[in-house]
Amino acid sequence: MVILQTDQPSGPSKPLGKGNTLLLLLPLALLLAPDQAWALQSHGEPEGIYVHQLAHIFYAAALGYLFWDVGRNAFPGKGWRYLQLFCVLMILWNVVAFSGHWLGFHIDNSDLLRPSGYFSSQILGPISGVKLTYFCATLDHLLSVPALFFLFLSLRTLYHSSDTAEKK
Amino acid sequence: MNSLPLAPAIVTDMVGSGFIIVFSFLSLRYAWLLTKKQPENFLWGFLFYFCLTLAAFAISRAMGHLLKHILLFSGNQELWQIFAPVSGGTNTLLMTSLAAVTLYYHKGIEGYQAINRKAKSLKEAYDQLEVAAAQLQEMNLHLEEKVAERTHELSASEKKFRNLFNNSKDMVYFSDPRNHLLTMNSAGFKMLGYPSDGAQALDLADIFKHEKDWDSYHETLLSQGFIKDMEVEFAKADGSTISVLLSATAVYDDKNQFSGCEGIVKDLTRFKTMMAQLFASEKMASVGQMAAGVAHEINTPLGVILGYSQLMMDDFPPESEQAQNLAIIERQTKACRKIVADLLKFSRQSESAREDISINEILLDVIALTQHSLNMDHITVHQDFAQDLPPIVGDTERLRQVFVNLVNNAHHAMEKQGAGELTLISRYDPGRHEVVATVRDTGHGIPENIQPRIFDPFFTTKSVGKGTGLGLSVSYGIIQDHGGRIEVESPVANSQFGEKIQGAAFHVKLPVTLVEAASVSE
Repeated sequence: MVILQTDQPSGPSKPLGKGNTLLLLLPLALLLAPDQAWALQSHGEPEGIYVHQLAHIFYAAALGYLFWDVGRNAFPGKGWRYLQLFCVLMILWNVVAFSGHWLGFHIDNSDLLRPSGYFSSQILGPISGVKLTYFCATLDHLLSVPALFFLFLSLRTLYHSSDTAEKK
Repeated sequence: MNSLPLAPAIVTDMVGSGFIIVFSFLSLRYAWLLTKKQPENFLWGFLFYFCLTLAAFAISRAMGHLLKHILLFSGNQELWQIFAPVSGGTNTLLMTSLAAVTLYYHKGIEGYQAINRKAKSLKEAYDQLEVAAAQLQEMNLHLEEKVAERTHELSASEKKFRNLFNNSKDMVYFSDPRNHLLTMNSAGFKMLGYPSDGAQALDLADIFKHEKDWDSYHETLLSQGFIKDMEVEFAKADGSTISVLLSATAVYDDKNQFSGCEGIVKDLTRFKTMMAQLFASEKMASVGQMAAGVAHEINTPLGVILGYSQLMMDDFPPESEQAQNLAIIERQTKACRKIVADLLKFSRQSESAREDISINEILLDVIALTQHSLNMDHITVHQDFAQDLPPIVGDTERLRQVFVNLVNNAHHAMEKQGAGELTLISRYDPGRHEVVATVRDTGHGIPENIQPRIFDPFFTTKSVGKGTGLGLSVSYGIIQDHGGRIEVESPVANSQFGEKIQGAAFHVKLPVTLVEAASVSE
């Protein structure tokens, strides 16, 4: 049988061992003798556009989820259908914007010409598929404006339908 | 195609940016209105934050685009190069936020749905509670009405049974397990002659006259649980006895333990008296019929014996022994004929006259006839005659004979005492249209056990030779012949003090025709 004795008087403190001394000296040595640490990762120029593109994907995915969930919950009324239309158009907008950003890399400054100021800017020929697609992508508001319009319709309809439901 | 002009794209971008701002803010406004209207609705909250982020994104992007166009248009390309990363970064941040808000919606909606389910279940519980409360309230209301209705019905029922209990002419009683009377109606107290507040002091066993009747009652009640039509005798407060018909039911408590009984008692005294009178009447009728037959049969040979004995007396000198013997035969034959005549009177076979007569006159005649002999025995005669009695129709002689018989009987009852009081009373009973003549004495009275037999022919308590036992029989027959009745009372109830006085009273009740009674009433 082992009897635990907790009230034994403590003995004199032991001196630090060799290993412990080395552990204490290492941070000091590192501070006094610095070298290239690579503590921070540097972010190059393309990182911003990558993050932006990833944000488009993230946003599109979130809208896709919203579209699916509204359908799954079968929320009744036109308002929710308009919201789903908004989701679809915004997903398309994301696709267009994503494409526009990506195609932007393939358009060289020499392909753009400003003969008489900014407003006269044009894409120089020969017009390839990339250039044409890029041109179309610059018209992304043709998707985003209707999308926002449907969002407006959705909320207005939801507001009025909630009004009607309350009266009932 | 040599080139694609970007002017339409620039215009679309600028106009579109404007529309984007407008629509995003319009959407934000409706989202805000929805949250204001239904702040508890999570969906509106989500849409509000979504629109808020979208509006921020719209401003950031649209303003960025407009700034770009303005700066590039004004030839400040370098300046735009400074703003472009800021604008792009902000757009990225807001797009990410939009996505985050949208995805956060997932968790939010789950929470909202969970809350909604809870709220719905709470609302259902609340609705059910409300319905239950409404039902309870209605029941409560209805209960009050029901209680009021039942109370009214109970009150009416209680009143009905209380009236039945109080107004019953039969005794109704309730007793405890130890047979103490708990409650008894006034008819019961009256029947037993106790004051009506003496129920607590009474024990059922005390009012049973005979112990064996009480034992039988108690055992039957305990063994069978009820008693039906048990004929017993009860002892009244004054010690007298009444015949009753008793029905009782045992009462048991919740533990099926005997807790007392409830019973109804009917006084049979009147019924028994009536039955006795009927029996006596029937008996007298049959005895009278027999007496009449015997009298007729004996009367003829007696007449022959009397005739021949009188004829033979003429053949002998009066002093001769034969004449003396024949005189004895004649005398005894005449005595026999008198008895026969009395029997005929009893059986109402003799003829009688019918005339208007006054009872008071007859009574005065009887007093005159008997006064002397009564005085000899120190018997005081009292007269208590009602004036203006209506006349009755009858035979004066025969009625006089009745009262002479009654007075003689009274005389005989008092002669041994050496003194006494004879009272002759006459009354008119307008309810029954009867004249009542009473002959009352203070003699030894008539024992109760022989009262039913005193009107039987040849029944007498006198010593041999002092009476034939035909006097009361003849009187009974005569009164019956007049349509009346004769009743005996012994001991006599004192109408003034309610006590019993020793002696006997004979009440002769004779009917008065209605015309005569009306004239008296006038």
